[in-house]
Amino acid sequence: MMRLILRNWTLSLGLALLALILLMALSAPILYPGDPYAMMGPPLQWPGTYPGAPLGTDSLGRDIAAGIFHGARVSLMVGFVSVACALVVGILVGAFAGYYGGWVDDALMRITELFQTIPQFMLAIVIIAIMGPSIQAVIISLGVVSWPTVARLVRSEFLVLRERAFVHSCIVIGMSDLRIIFAQILPNALSSITVMASVLVATAILMESALSFLGFGDPNVITWGTMIGLGRSQLRDAWYIIAIPGLALLVTALALNLVGEGINDAMNPRLRKRKI
Amino acid sequence: MTARRHRSTFRYIGKRLIHAAFTILGIAVINFLLLQLAPGDAAEALAGEAGTADAEYMESLRRQFGLDRSLIEQLGAFLLRIVTLDFGWSFRHGMSNWDLIMDRLPATLLLMGASILLALIGGIVMGVIAARNVGRLPDRLISVGALLLYATPPFWIGLMMIVLFSVKLGWVPTGGMYDVIGGKTGFAHVLDVMWHLALPVLTQAFFYLAIYTRLVRAGMLEVLNLEYIRVARAKGISENRIAYRHALRNAVLPLLTVVGANIGTFLGGAVLTESIFSWPGIGRLMFDAMMQRDLNLLLSILVLSSIFVVIANLLVDLLYAVINPTVELK
Amino acid sequence: MAKDTLLSVEDLHLSVSHMPEARILRGVSFDVTRGKTLAIVGESGCGKSVTSLAVMGLLPEGLTKTAGHIRFDGTDLPVTDNEAMRKIRGDRIGMVFQEPMAALNPVYTIGNQVAEVILEHENISRAEARERVIALMREVGLPDPDHIVDEYPHRLSGGQRQRVVIAMALACNPDLLIADEPTTALDVTVQAQIMRLLKGAQAELGVAIVLITHNLGLVAQVADRVAVMYAGRKVEEAETRRLFSAPLHPYTRGLLAATPRPGRRQEGELPLSEIPGMVPSITEDLRGCRFAPRCPLASDICHRVIPEPRMIGATSVACHNTTETEAPA
Repeated sequence: MMRLILRNWTLSLGLALLALILLMALSAPILYPGDPYAMMGPPLQWPGTYPGAPLGTDSLGRDIAAGIFHGARVSLMVGFVSVACALVVGILVGAFAGYYGGWVDDALMRITELFQTIPQFMLAIVIIAIMGPSIQAVIISLGVVSWPTVARLVRSEFLVLRERAFVHSCIVIGMSDLRIIFAQILPNALSSITVMASVLVATAILMESALSFLGFGDPNVITWGTMIGLGRSQLRDAWYIIAIPGLALLVTALALNLVGEGINDAMNPRLRKRKI
Repeated sequence: MTARRHRSTFRYIGKRLIHAAFTILGIAVINFLLLQLAPGDAAEALAGEAGTADAEYMESLRRQFGLDRSLIEQLGAFLLRIVTLDFGWSFRHGMSNWDLIMDRLPATLLLMGASILLALIGGIVMGVIAARNVGRLPDRLISVGALLLYATPPFWIGLMMIVLFSVKLGWVPTGGMYDVIGGKTGFAHVLDVMWHLALPVLTQAFFYLAIYTRLVRAGMLEVLNLEYIRVARAKGISENRIAYRHALRNAVLPLLTVVGANIGTFLGGAVLTESIFSWPGIGRLMFDAMMQRDLNLLLSILVLSSIFVVIANLLVDLLYAVINPTVELK
Repeated sequence: MAKDTLLSVEDLHLSVSHMPEARILRGVSFDVTRGKTLAIVGESGCGKSVTSLAVMGLLPEGLTKTAGHIRFDGTDLPVTDNEAMRKIRGDRIGMVFQEPMAALNPVYTIGNQVAEVILEHENISRAEARERVIALMREVGLPDPDHIVDEYPHRLSGGQRQRVVIAMALACNPDLLIADEPTTALDVTVQAQIMRLLKGAQAELGVAIVLITHNLGLVAQVADRVAVMYAGRKVEEAETRRLFSAPLHPYTRGLLAATPRPGRRQEGELPLSEIPGMVPSITEDLRGCRFAPRCPLASDICHRVIPEPRMIGATSVACHNTTETEAPA
């Protein structure tokens, strides 16, 4: 396993970057124990000019580094929790549709398609509008827009896997459907689901940042999107305020995409040379 | 044979229309259910900060949504309103929601069309260059570029481009659709709009440019290994002709379905792009509605955008069937 | 090189580019006479398909010709110069491949694809090309040529598609047709039709054919000469009847014994006997004969010295153990 990770530079780079972000998120309360929204120095200090804030301060004298560290917590948490919710729903829907086929499949897939037809970001906004801006609302809205992707992938995996000999032998020995679905077929689909999940987490993090940027996120927590949104008014003279959290988002999303691609390459060595 | 194909084409279109109608019905039901989730009195939620929340307005909302009747009757009333294109009244804007949305739609369509076109052309060009140089420097640069673009928040690229191209270099305006002061007409007006369109289109297109580049590259590499490409080589056809005539068309056809599937995401992205660049489309309208807590307008935008996606998907499917001879219409 | 020799391959060596020890062809020579059919037979992996691709200048990326000459109609074929080879491919040398189902581009009509090769090599109008295509369709036995010309490939059967591929290969009246397993992917009844079509075209147009196959039954029916290949080398070549009646190389004998031949089983010969052992890999360098490890007759010299092809009667054979006495009079 370790050798596999080292040989696959996409995967190792992705995991290293992800570990870095995770470390930032975990160390935020230790390194920056105070409220990241609190003023801690003179306003609008460029990165590297004010010793107390290596990444500079914003228009209200808030430490940008503190925001980046605390923002990592929110970004990762929202990304992973919302995708976890999407996985639960998507796997259930996709597994039943793919395993049973027929009208079950038809009905479940019609509903899935329906959710894919509605513009995702708009749906997320409306859900937040109805639930009120809170971190829960953001997570739920991102989960609602992400599950159809999971359901479709799981279904297509199940459609293939249910025709395999091991499934037939399970049926022959009288194993229950639920056991076949979750104990026999699902483990075989896990690698594809993992690849998709890491890309979905990246998408969810980007979407969360977009919602916060527009000001639709939870006003009580700081996220990278919020920081970019707040920095917009200083676009002309203090563009570092938006550049830094944007880079943090880029690195996080890149790390997750690299991990997904790396796992994919490791699973299909034949395709490796086609990718970068 | 042609007559047979025509008949089956009509049957196919009919089938797709029925499917589309059911999808729209489903969208309406989902919207209705969303409305039921609103806490407290639905009329209050709908009114939000939009109206002055006077009793008369609340009463009109209750009547309009049939809130005093049973759920089934409410759903029926909701569907009836969608069929009759009655999306209610926006007090904030002093217009009916339908007129408001239709008024803003052309700007969004312009932005969407231009960015899809740019992403498609750019993606095809980049993907073909990468595939024809697979493993060499141009391929590596393009692939790394696509990977980076795919991971970058589009709205952030938009802001960064404003910093560079508008603030630092002063090449393009920071926002809006045309010069308010200039009052240009005719061709000058078209040029002015295109000028304002540049950054929003780039912002909106970059993410899809990355996706399409990767898809075209993978598709080209797959097709170039197929037997019929070897046969074409054995016929003495030049490598350029093989790439552009034989491989490209087969590699790009599947892309069309992807574009169809992306239309909804494009509309969602328009909320961001239009908010950043003050582009007067439905995305900007949605942002304003959100800020004003105008739930009725928000829901109307969501329903109409979804219906738009259904229609666009239908057109893309038909187009795909027309230009791909291997699709037998059923 | 005799006057009526059309294609002459001399001492052809092929290797994997980044792995020169992986030698795919280790000195293969053969001649193809104008208007005649040479069959190249052997197990999969023996190098027979790659030989034909080398002649076409279509070696897959990563393979290089390291030595040898390929002469066509008196001049060296510029196999590494793609632009020069383009003028020859499709015009003077046509090729038919193994997989008719995958050989046609799904998004263009059949007529369009056949016309493409004519328009590429000849200076004629589209209308003339279309007339030629329809005539070709008729010649290769496609039903209703006037309509089928506007059909897309997915509406045709495998046999029909192979006829289209043959029409493409013959469209410019080539001197040479290379057919790489042209019937392997087809039903048995269709196989016979396709071979009859190829033989008919040969009789009519005087085209020489290189038939690459592992099907000895097919060879016996259509080939004038047969070259047998084993692990990157040619082990035996003779006129077809001679090779079948008096095979000299132990590998050829084993191959023939492994082929079911109704009513022709020789005494003491096991039906469908398999040749024991494994084919040496392309990287394996044996000092002697590459068949020696599996050969029932192998002696000391076979393991030490590479046998060079020599003429025994009218048969060319590369074996230390074959002597004049074994050759039929």
